[in-house]
Amino acid sequence: MINLRNITVNFGDFTALHGIDLNVGAGEFFTLLGPSGCGKTTTLRTITGFIKPDAGTVTVADKDITHMEIEKRNIGMVFQNYALFPTMSVFQNIAFGLKVKKIPKEEIKQRVEEIAKKVELEPHQMKRKVSQLSGGQQQRVAIARALVTSPSIICLDEPLSNLDAKLRVQLRNELKDLQRKFGITTVYVTHDQEEALTLSDRIAVFNHGKIEQIGAPDEVYNFSSTEFVCNFVGDINKLSKGFLERVGANASHGVDVDKSCYIRLERVYVNNVAPRHLSTTAVVENSEYYGLYIKYTLNSQGDLIRVIEKNSGTPMYAMGEEVTISFSAENIMQF
Amino acid sequence: MTSPEKKTFRINKTKILTALIYAGLLWFIFAVLIMPNLNTVVSVVYQDGAFTTSPFVRLFGSARATQALRNSFILAPALSVTVGIVGIFIVLATEYFDIKGAKILRLGYMTSLIYSGIILVSGYRFMYGANGFLTNILASIFPNFNTGWFQGFWAVLFVMTFATTGNHLIFLRTSIRSVDFQTIEAAKNLGASQFTILRRVVLPVLTPSLLAVTVFTFYIGLNATSAPLLVGGPDFQTINPMILTFSRTVGSRDLAALMALILGLASIVLIMIMAQLEKRGHYLSVSKVKTTMVKQKISNPIANILVHIVAYGLFVVYMAPVVMVTLFSFTDASAIATRTFSIDSLTLENYINVFTRASGYRPIVISIMFSFIAAAVVGLLIILVCRMITKYKGKLSSFVEYAFMIPWLLPSVLIAIGLVMAFNQPRWYMFNTVLTGTMIIMIMAYVIIRIPFTLRITRAAFFSLDDSLEDAAKNLGAKAMYTFFIVLLPIIMPTVLAVFALNFNFLMTDFDTSVFLYHPLQLPLGVHVQILTNQDANADNVALTFVYAVIMMVVSSIVLYVVYGRGTRETKQ
Repeated sequence: MINLRNITVNFGDFTALHGIDLNVGAGEFFTLLGPSGCGKTTTLRTITGFIKPDAGTVTVADKDITHMEIEKRNIGMVFQNYALFPTMSVFQNIAFGLKVKKIPKEEIKQRVEEIAKKVELEPHQMKRKVSQLSGGQQQRVAIARALVTSPSIICLDEPLSNLDAKLRVQLRNELKDLQRKFGITTVYVTHDQEEALTLSDRIAVFNHGKIEQIGAPDEVYNFSSTEFVCNFVGDINKLSKGFLERVGANASHGVDVDKSCYIRLERVYVNNVAPRHLSTTAVVENSEYYGLYIKYTLNSQGDLIRVIEKNSGTPMYAMGEEVTISFSAENIMQF
Repeated sequence: MTSPEKKTFRINKTKILTALIYAGLLWFIFAVLIMPNLNTVVSVVYQDGAFTTSPFVRLFGSARATQALRNSFILAPALSVTVGIVGIFIVLATEYFDIKGAKILRLGYMTSLIYSGIILVSGYRFMYGANGFLTNILASIFPNFNTGWFQGFWAVLFVMTFATTGNHLIFLRTSIRSVDFQTIEAAKNLGASQFTILRRVVLPVLTPSLLAVTVFTFYIGLNATSAPLLVGGPDFQTINPMILTFSRTVGSRDLAALMALILGLASIVLIMIMAQLEKRGHYLSVSKVKTTMVKQKISNPIANILVHIVAYGLFVVYMAPVVMVTLFSFTDASAIATRTFSIDSLTLENYINVFTRASGYRPIVISIMFSFIAAAVVGLLIILVCRMITKYKGKLSSFVEYAFMIPWLLPSVLIAIGLVMAFNQPRWYMFNTVLTGTMIIMIMAYVIIRIPFTLRITRAAFFSLDDSLEDAAKNLGAKAMYTFFIVLLPIIMPTVLAVFALNFNFLMTDFDTSVFLYHPLQLPLGVHVQILTNQDANADNVALTFVYAVIMMVVSSIVLYVVYGRGTRETKQ
């Protein structure tokens, strides 16, 4: 569906994108994930046409749109702050794109009503000013406005970043439902790895204007292909050479102790040593109670190892208590 | 699909339109903003085909001129002090201390916002002048009382002090409202007295605004025109009235130009100081949860009574001319002549005269026409400038932006003198048209003097527009013009209309610029009032000025309510 080939974008002396290549399949929910300034928004704006690449091509359904004008690309966009027109009503906002295309009034009315219904906007809300709506309702208006012109693709630029945590989770779910309902190809930009993991079919992790890894959420999380990805996506423990030698990790386990080695928090077990697990003792240094789970910081001769334990209702480990930590060598990621 | 020819044509059309707009703006900068002022400089130093220092020698050899220069530089600092004292007091009395009837007091103090300029000076003359209301009372009590007491430096200082505290009310009031009340509570908690809190906690927060307003007051003092003209008398004339006198004689126009340039230089220095003060910025509250100010009760009962007495005394000073002018605008000529009010003297005759006689309503109509056209032109011009400087970033747009700041540096008298001297003969850059004495030069001057205010506010509105709105419109298929008119302009429209209303209001009673440029057959209101006030022996003329004053107060009140009153209400909501 969307094909970026060798896209390079320069802003003066600064190269924002270094020859990016990526493919987004039809109907796919594809996320561009990365820290601030990594090039994810630049990539999205190159797809929508707000940025003209210095090199490379953008094709959609095999049609080269690299130099096509923005308004002719048929790509809907939802902006970070929604960019709703404050002087217009909800109806006027949604109808804007149709009016520009000089669609007959009756058809505009019909299409706006249809899309409003799909995004669950009530008829009585249509005459309201957008400033009178809640954050969630504004998001629905922004999505309806982007979808009403029947675009082939929809691009969303961090649409949840300005919302509080609870609303973010609620709208995240709504967004996924809407995407499924419309079945539209979606390119989504975020710096929130949790958002990317829960929403996406596939994720492209960006760093310094390059793509570090493209893959399904579980692939990116469990089998990070670079040290940056494993650090950026999810929480992780870095294992020192001394610690690895203490637990007896070596080449026979497939572990090269001279490399940078990492293990996810949930892959480390406390007082639950399975056969063939590597293990050592540690002292409980800190515990954080989250309700659903407990996060422990354990000190193993100066190496701090963080562990997540599901809250099963059993008493928590006491501070200073000595415990045994263990893990499978297979779960160690090495770079 | 667009054909290549059509595409090329559209691109060219956009480029041509942009080029035409830039060409128009560059012509305006060159012909209207730069050349007249350059011409003023040249006329001073280059005469009869040779460089000369003659204007300098003549100016500094003229006792009247040097006295006027000296007077201006005495008035400006003195005014900064008196306005500072009165301004800070009225702001503290209405916003910080718990004074009984503060709302009524504030309304009284705010009359200087609707009752200003030449009309205000004429009102004060009616109260305190040679045959003034208060003067007559004093003369009846003290038979040897000098009825010409309200003239000279102190009279000018008195009138201008109460005319210019409006800036304190606007700017200091905003600053004092931004004081975080928790800082006052914290100081109290740490054992600070009321005076210490005021001196160490509240006033430092106000200092940046206070300094800026003080420098601005200094600027107003230097540029004083109507007050010294009407109440300065022969012994206290300042730069502007002297420039006016010199500019009326062809042989001394170079002196007028030189004085205007001196004023301009002083203004530039002051504006640079003001810009530096602005750069220092304002104190920002670091509180996580800011609490609104609670008025402070003055704990010392004697101080409390004294503050109440001074507050109400000032209220009387502010209100007396307004009440008198309004009251006497409804009385007949004999009541005005004798300054005695009685029920029998009440009449609508003065209003009927103004609204039915051409000589009465003509100055209003002319001022409405000039002000409306100028306010609209400057509004449109600055919208165009702002659009260009926000949409096209580059050297050319930066040049346009800086060039449009030129009028900010120049006092209105220098602008007026520049226009008169530049366009009293054909100039190629003005298409060889003589403009002096025409309606165009008046409108041109009005436009120029309102550029700084209009640019500052409109530019801020443009820069506050969210870029993503334009991107969103573009993404939905809208062209640049459609986006501008349908999406962006409606957002900044309230600001544009407010600026239009304030410009219109300001220009309606303009005197300082109009007095240099008016055509005798097209007298604007400000000049008309000055002429009527000069002929003060005629009570009918005084009655006319009162009616004009009341009309202008009503117009200003409406404008200020629409612009600020509604805004305040919406903010509260």
